[in-house]
Amino acid sequence: MMDAVLRLEGVTRQYSLGKTIVHALRGVDLVVHNGEIIALMGPSGSGKSTLLHILGALDTPTSGTALIDGIDVKSLAERKLTQLRGQRIGFVFQTFNLVPTLSAQLNVELPMIFQRVPRRTRATRARTLLTRVGLGDRFSHRPNELSGGERQRVAIARALANDPEIIIADEPTGNLDSESGGRILEHLAGLSRDDGKTVIIATHDPDAAAVAGRIVRIKDGRLITTQEGVHV
Amino acid sequence: MFSDFFLLSTRGIMHRKMRSWLTVIGVFIGITAVVAMISIGLGLERSVTQQVAKVFGYNSFLVVGKNAFQSPHSAAKAVHVNLNVIKQVPGVTAVAAVRSETGFVKGPSSAGKSRQGFLPVMGLSPTLMTEFSSFLGDLSFAPGGRFFRPGESNVAILGHAVATQLHAQLGYTITIEDHQFKIIGIIAPKTTGQGASFGLNRTSNADTIFVPFDQMNVLFGKSDKVLLTLVKTAKGTDVDTIAARVKQALKAAGDTTVTTVTYSDISRQISTVMGSVSGFLAGIAGISLLVGGVGVMNTMYTAVLERTREIGVMKALGARRGQILSIFLIESGLMGLVGGIVGVLFGLGLSSVAAAVIRGYFNVEIHAVASPILIVSTLAFSFFLGAFAGWMPARRAAKLPVVDALRYE
Ligand SMILES: Nc1ncnc2c1ncn2[C@@H]1O[C@H](COP(=O)(O)OP(=O)(O)O)[C@@H](O)[C@H]1O
Ligand SMILES: [Mg+2]
Repeated sequence: MMDAVLRLEGVTRQYSLGKTIVHALRGVDLVVHNGEIIALMGPSGSGKSTLLHILGALDTPTSGTALIDGIDVKSLAERKLTQLRGQRIGFVFQTFNLVPTLSAQLNVELPMIFQRVPRRTRATRARTLLTRVGLGDRFSHRPNELSGGERQRVAIARALANDPEIIIADEPTGNLDSESGGRILEHLAGLSRDDGKTVIIATHDPDAAAVAGRIVRIKDGRLITTQEGVHV
Repeated sequence: MFSDFFLLSTRGIMHRKMRSWLTVIGVFIGITAVVAMISIGLGLERSVTQQVAKVFGYNSFLVVGKNAFQSPHSAAKAVHVNLNVIKQVPGVTAVAAVRSETGFVKGPSSAGKSRQGFLPVMGLSPTLMTEFSSFLGDLSFAPGGRFFRPGESNVAILGHAVATQLHAQLGYTITIEDHQFKIIGIIAPKTTGQGASFGLNRTSNADTIFVPFDQMNVLFGKSDKVLLTLVKTAKGTDVDTIAARVKQALKAAGDTTVTTVTYSDISRQISTVMGSVSGFLAGIAGISLLVGGVGVMNTMYTAVLERTREIGVMKALGARRGQILSIFLIESGLMGLVGGIVGVLFGLGLSSVAAAVIRGYFNVEIHAVASPILIVSTLAFSFFLGAFAGWMPARRAAKLPVVDALRYE
């Protein structure tokens, strides 16, 4: 149960902005175990998003190694990385990032389209997932016809489309009022608790800390403490 | 899989209606211009070719001086043609010739006086009417007039201007080189003689006096020099083959300054000329297509750039580069194709209207030609134009690292 799904060893990430180099991550070691739920907390600009991108195979470290299921991300070809993103990881963004032209259902189907899931299977699954996040009556709504909280629930359903082991959420409640935010956190916590998925949430939200099994704090690109949270 | 991408693409098109319309319009204007120009060009070519076919029929050809049709001056030059040689070539059924001289002509006398002067006198074979009537065009006489009959002599036909000058009327007698000729026809002033390139009622013939061909020998001395010779071939024979034989026979007989002109020679020349005219018109239209194409590329470029973030999201959701490109290719290709379809329809409509206007104003029998090859290639072109315009920026955006695309504002 306590096997490492994600492992970062001495990970740094630098961005070059013209002549200046921004050190977003300055040597991060982190082990994420299967099924745990982590809150990644830190001030704005501390490197949370950068860290999540590396954990989610959207980005690669400048130095150090990032292992997903024991595989060094850097050793993977673009095609394999894409496959990894599509099948093993579900991403939830602060700004939802739904495709505005598509209905809620098609947004959820999208990751399955890329994985060539047959039409019927994927429609059924999309509806099931939407129903599960409480949007059983919103299948054909466009993103602009939904509230912020509803949009983020569509995004969660979309992240679950290909049944990934790892869910990564970057400030998922950042754009929501506390009530809708609470619902989102409920859903994410449920994924770890009920489905045994590994969930990592970057957040400022103290409520998120409450649902987390472990809190990881980051400042200026370094992890400062990791503390065990209260399992809900 | 294609149907899924097709679905995603059409959603994209429907969602950005304004932009989609701009793209479609950018393609459509250029395509309309090109299709209209080419259709009317093809119609013009067909019209001219049909006129020539009407005159030549499919079993006649001309014997003329070499280069006769290459300069307007040489066209009127008489050349040596031995008509008897032509008549003896197998497959030839009829020969008619035109010989032109200048003769001293006296009009009918009234009160002891008559008008007189040197006038163009043209000898025409009676077979012109019986065998080659199409070359005479819409020949029309003033009431009571008629053409020469075979074997007839001492009869003349007058252009309407010369008839007025000489105070001559039907049935009167005039004198040409001391020989008397009875007027059997006066050619009516030009009505619409379109297409009759050899028509006798052309304005340039209004001053001419026509007599039977054989009498030219009597009036002006025996000569083989003729302006123009018409040859008719037997049914079922190939005109071009017979024409070649005639040319060979004439060459053997020493008439080396002549050549034959068949329908296919002329239509080939027309095609060449019309081809370059159409090409020129299409080129002009092509410029508008090019301008439209650049506009489409610009529209697609900003449209795709705006969606860089969306492309980043799709990549984060596991989309492969090729899948993203397919979506954008179908999307922009479809818009190009729609523009093409609208453009073809408008182009065909426009050329039909233009043809109708030309028919009305210039009395030319012209119809726009809707060439299937033109239509299909135009549609293919507009699809690829659109696809290319979308593919260029989409490829760039799809290449961007995911995190950069996601950060794109
Ligand atoms: N693509 C980038 N180019 C340049 N600098 C970047 C880029 N992404 C992040 N940064 C910088 O790296 C640091 C960490 O950013 P980020 O990981 O987004 O922090 P957080 O998510 O905690 O707010 C910040 O200083 C930010 O300005
Ligand atoms: Mg961030």
